[in-house]
Amino acid sequence: MGEAMLKLDGVHKRFGALEVLRGIDLEVAHGEVVCVLGPSGSGKSTLLRCVNLLEPPEQGEIFLEGKDICKGPDSGTGEQSWRLDFVRQRVGIVFQQFNLFPHKTALQNVTMAPERVLGRSSGEARAKATQLLERVGLADKLNEYPERLSGGQQQRVAIARALAMDPHVMLFDEVTSALDPELVKEVLDVLRELAAEGMTMLVVTHEMGFARDVGDKVVFMDGGVIVEQGKPAEVLDNPREERTRRFLGLVLDR
Amino acid sequence: MNEIIEQYFDLSQMSKHFDEVLNGFVITLELALLATVLALIWGLLLALLRQLPGKGFAPLRFLSIGYIDVFRGVPLLILILLISGSLAFLPLPDALTIPQWLGKPDNFWYGIMALVLVYGAYYAEVYRAGIEAVPDGQMEAARSLGMSHGQAMRNVIVPQAVRKVIAPMLNEFTALLKDTTLVSVIALNEVALVGRDIQSKTFNSSALTLGAIMFLIIVLPLARLVDRLIARERARTSRGGAPPVMHH
Repeated sequence: MGEAMLKLDGVHKRFGALEVLRGIDLEVAHGEVVCVLGPSGSGKSTLLRCVNLLEPPEQGEIFLEGKDICKGPDSGTGEQSWRLDFVRQRVGIVFQQFNLFPHKTALQNVTMAPERVLGRSSGEARAKATQLLERVGLADKLNEYPERLSGGQQQRVAIARALAMDPHVMLFDEVTSALDPELVKEVLDVLRELAAEGMTMLVVTHEMGFARDVGDKVVFMDGGVIVEQGKPAEVLDNPREERTRRFLGLVLDR
Repeated sequence: MNEIIEQYFDLSQMSKHFDEVLNGFVITLELALLATVLALIWGLLLALLRQLPGKGFAPLRFLSIGYIDVFRGVPLLILILLISGSLAFLPLPDALTIPQWLGKPDNFWYGIMALVLVYGAYYAEVYRAGIEAVPDGQMEAARSLGMSHGQAMRNVIVPQAVRKVIAPMLNEFTALLKDTTLVSVIALNEVALVGRDIQSKTFNSSALTLGAIMFLIIVLPLARLVDRLIARERARTSRGGAPPVMHH
């Protein structure tokens, strides 16, 4: 597969006295789906937020398509804005709480960034947004406002919104955790489809079934470090580490 | 008892001076509306300066915070006196120091300046409350989609913030409308001064009462409107939106 799409090298992140990430090494190849598991507070979300520089790491390096996106002074404007543009136009993220823009319709949520950031014409942006919303099964909801949509529908709009920027990597931060159980499948189906189309994905999730079926690799995190990683079957069925076994026992025995 | 009613509510006095009082109230409304529009713009600018991110913008943030604190603390009356009694002596063009724009006299514009300086600071705080009531996830989502801080503010944060603060903005307008009467101290013929002149000539206060009634005709419906807006925002919140912003 050649050069990794995404490579993290000794990434550290602290919030005040709390060190949330304590040296993360991780590689994601082109087209690979990596699922990140772990108890809450293990640093999974922070890991994703470091990758798109919402929380720039203090130490360590992150390579996106071979380019070091952590290099350079944080205070300087030129270098940093170059890095931000580079990252934000290649990395899409979908959040647990959807974070749709409530004052905009589903269609406008999807067209806003392509128009404002990429300078696409409104016709072009609308055509692409319509196509994306159809793809996530919302062809009949184009002009609805988020508050009129179910959680599952909102999350699918959020996925379409991220895809509209033509990302090379998609980050999913517990995208089904805020959903009622009966709405989880419709969102996971969209993720499965994306994976099947070859999208590179880093997925923080508690959905063990999804990680097993769709993940090319499963990563187990605890206490700000990667405890164990490998093929889903290895990690989920024959975990080597005691901490992984304990976590999986708690999750799977429910 | 009759004498009391006559002192404050003499209908013949009211009808005799109705046109004068109304003309004064029109000046009051002109002052209030123009000052509000300018203060809304100035206040938004101050609020946006205060929200600029990063170390590089720290001086602008501190300037904005300092301005807001100072001008919320200075009595409006003192500011009116300061401006009207000093501007003409500054080494600046007369067009600025003795303004006669739009055919209005200089004391009208001194009043506008003082009101905008003070209410710009108040409005900045209202905007700030609105901006801070927009969940962090909105800014994060906008930035993650590649928008700059400015683009995110313009397209995502400010439109939501403004919707949240319409009710407190109307409250500020009510306060500003009443505060315009302070401009009477620099001899602007607005409603309070007109009423006072009549009072001192006739030894009867009914013209002033009439002026007060004109205020109430504007202010009371506004108060009901604010209540309805807050109730509507509450209903929206109970369906899962961010809470409305209360102020004062």
